[in-house]
Amino acid sequence: MMHSIRSIMRTLTLTVSMIALLITTSPAAFAAEKTDFKLAWTIYVGWMPWDYAAASGIVDKWADKYGINIDIVQVNDYVESINQYTAGQFDATVMTNMDALTIPAASGVDSTALIVGDFSNGNDGVVLKGDKTLKDIAGQQVNLVELSVSHYLLARGLESVGMSEKDVKVVNTSDADLVAAFSSDTVTAVTTWNPLLSEITAQPNTSEVFDSSMIPGEIIDLLVVNTETLEANPKLGKALTGAWYEIMATMSGTDAAATEAKTFMAEASGTDLAGYDAQLASTKMFYTAAEAVAFTHSADLMATMQKVSEFSFDHGLLGEGAPDATFIGIETPSGVYGNTSNVKLRFNPAYMEMAAEGAL
Amino acid sequence: MTRIINRQPSRYGRLALGFLPFVILLLVYIVASDARLAENSADKLLPSFQSFADAVVRMGFEPSKRTGEYLLLNDTLSSLQRLMMGVGLSAFIGLVIGVGNGMVPYMRSPLSPLVTAISLIPPMAILPILFIIFGLGELSKVVLIVIGICPIIIRDIQLRTDDLPPEQLIKAQTLGGSSWQIIVRVVLPQIMPRLIEAVRLTLGSAWLFLIAAEAIAATDGLGYRIFLVRRYMAMDVILPYVLWITTLAFAMDWSLKRVSILLFPWYHGTQGGGHD
Amino acid sequence: MTKSEKPIIQIKNLWKEYGDNVVLERINLDVYEGEFVSIVGASGCGKTTFLNLMLGTEQPSRGSILLDEAPLDPEPSTERGIVFQKYSVFPHMTALENVMLGEEFSKTSMSSVAMGRLIGRAKEDARENAMAILEQVGLSQAANKYPSELSGGMQQRLAIAQALIKKPRILLLDEPFGALDPGIRKDMHQLIGQLWQEQKLTVFMITHDLSEGFLLGSRLWVFDKTRQDSHAPERFGAHITFDIPLSTGKSGEEELERLKATELDVA
Repeated sequence: MMHSIRSIMRTLTLTVSMIALLITTSPAAFAAEKTDFKLAWTIYVGWMPWDYAAASGIVDKWADKYGINIDIVQVNDYVESINQYTAGQFDATVMTNMDALTIPAASGVDSTALIVGDFSNGNDGVVLKGDKTLKDIAGQQVNLVELSVSHYLLARGLESVGMSEKDVKVVNTSDADLVAAFSSDTVTAVTTWNPLLSEITAQPNTSEVFDSSMIPGEIIDLLVVNTETLEANPKLGKALTGAWYEIMATMSGTDAAATEAKTFMAEASGTDLAGYDAQLASTKMFYTAAEAVAFTHSADLMATMQKVSEFSFDHGLLGEGAPDATFIGIETPSGVYGNTSNVKLRFNPAYMEMAAEGAL
Repeated sequence: MTRIINRQPSRYGRLALGFLPFVILLLVYIVASDARLAENSADKLLPSFQSFADAVVRMGFEPSKRTGEYLLLNDTLSSLQRLMMGVGLSAFIGLVIGVGNGMVPYMRSPLSPLVTAISLIPPMAILPILFIIFGLGELSKVVLIVIGICPIIIRDIQLRTDDLPPEQLIKAQTLGGSSWQIIVRVVLPQIMPRLIEAVRLTLGSAWLFLIAAEAIAATDGLGYRIFLVRRYMAMDVILPYVLWITTLAFAMDWSLKRVSILLFPWYHGTQGGGHD
Repeated sequence: MTKSEKPIIQIKNLWKEYGDNVVLERINLDVYEGEFVSIVGASGCGKTTFLNLMLGTEQPSRGSILLDEAPLDPEPSTERGIVFQKYSVFPHMTALENVMLGEEFSKTSMSSVAMGRLIGRAKEDARENAMAILEQVGLSQAANKYPSELSGGMQQRLAIAQALIKKPRILLLDEPFGALDPGIRKDMHQLIGQLWQEQKLTVFMITHDLSEGFLLGSRLWVFDKTRQDSHAPERFGAHITFDIPLSTGKSGEEELERLKATELDVA
């Protein structure tokens, strides 16, 4: 009996090591050159072009040009898609600047913002019931997705009227349930993003008291790529950037092709062309690579990332090992914010510059 | 060589085999975690045991920097309070309606189809309706648990009441018992240990609904914390919380079993010496 | 037994049908106080239906059963005590509590009506009565035990004690000893015979065991179908084909032989 147990144990130890090996050999673990890549996207006004890119064959066209394959995968849950990227299941994922800092970068996954797609210019907002101003929020419960850009927006809003988070009570509420929650009498204040925001402001007797157009350029939507993968495979960066700006050129036009592309994106995000145009109106899209490059080079970006870092540190998002807000280094063309020996998030305009120069 | 169905492990063998899967899981974890951490020392997916220990100390034994509260204690108390209210209310309603349906045909005819219909509604699907009726506060969380488990308890108790031998009820009538006296002295005491069993079986679902409710809208609670820190993938907090929830659930199950054995020795006597 | 007395039970042209299926037909009998009626018959010939009619859990289709010249209550009541083959006692009560229950249901006080319990003096009285009855059935040592701790024979003693506390006009026994070992059954025969004589009980006992019926009864009824229709067996019901007075206490060997000689089909 004992002998057989021992032999079973030996077999098991071997199996365990095999399984462990399998677990750890996730795609991102290979920094070596490869040809198959996966990009995850979630539904949001500024990210819908990726769906169009996949459906119209534009991504395939650019991938073929560089001799690689890019698989575009839609994920239903935004945070889950970022977690999967951080765990190494995806090579590239769409996310905001704040989430790029607090999830992959804070988890030690060196990430590069390959494309700066847009910034929220009214797509995120604080709404109160009744005819109110932001100051009336004092003492209220505010329902929002805690630790998200909504939370950041609220903090910035409160700051603008000389208050802080201590003056309100934040109630973590799942984004899927926010609109339903707003119908409840116990909910009097919410902070959220589009399309939920427009659903809520469309209800009678509501006031949008603060929105992201009052902090322009602070909530930025990015395409983030694993830095090691990108360095080993510049073709990936070129193909993605090339595809993106081809679609941007189509979208920004006024011809039938633009209408067709935007109608496709509208339907895929559950609205119609008019609704999608309304969302685009509160989004500052960088339709040309040159605009995005200019934005990335501006010193404002570094100032914004400092604010985001400080907010994240205050809320424990940089990890408990972080002694202060500068723990994680953020590289921008105008300089590095924070710890230069621990740079985990990089705004790298190189590929967008190539696109601007037509070098792709 | 005897057939495998006839081969029994020895007492120690059984114990060793019982621990084996846990040891394997632990080994897999350690190996995988070490491998990931060797590659990226800030990896959060499979943290080291040191990170777990730090997280436990931070959440459990140090006041939070932001609020000055002990987070684990606070979360546990809030969650337990909601769970107890939800389960307690469900057990009470389940007992009253289940026994009523089982004993009184005029109650069963209108109520039984309704209970069956309600038990088939997936509670998560009617969440928006619950929000509008009960608000987003404590009430809607308790109501979600009640809607989730109460129909199951009602149906179980109704079946258990039906299962009481008709001979007993006839005997009680020949002893002069009124309907109420028979319910109070003959039926309820025999249903109580079965109610405890029903509660033990539905506790798992109750936890599920509690955590779902806390994930949707809350300011504290075990489910709230897990879903909050999931936002920045703090597995060093999530895994100890999951272990803690498992421990709490196990302790509740165990205590309910002990309470039942203590209060209803006759029931466990007929069940074969109090084995589960 | 003096025939000038009024009968305690009068059965008048009793029929029981379920739709087209006739179970019992044309039963006319009188039973006097103090009689011990053993009821035998093949399986499925209506013994249990007859017992249910006596209990009040089922109602006659035609005819009637009178108890002390009044129609029976249409539901079980305290005039009719019952001991079933099993499940007669309450598993969640000790032997003493099982016997006291009858008195606690008496509705003589608020606590009895509201909770089915007696308190104070009344409870002490009930306890004394119950202990006395437990003594009679030989269970005083087991007063504080739960039924699951008692043997099958002791459980049936308890069931009898429980029924006796209400002093029922008639005692119905539904194969009360059918599940017991032969040795224990003999003790039980002794007990029930003794109780019957001491307390002047009127007893109806259904049994599968013919010799038990002869041994205990003062009267033996045999249920059987005399009319048969092989194409539609449900068209005719059973009735009482033999009503035999017995001299109690004897094993009844000669009666048994005589009965067998008539080729009676007794299962």
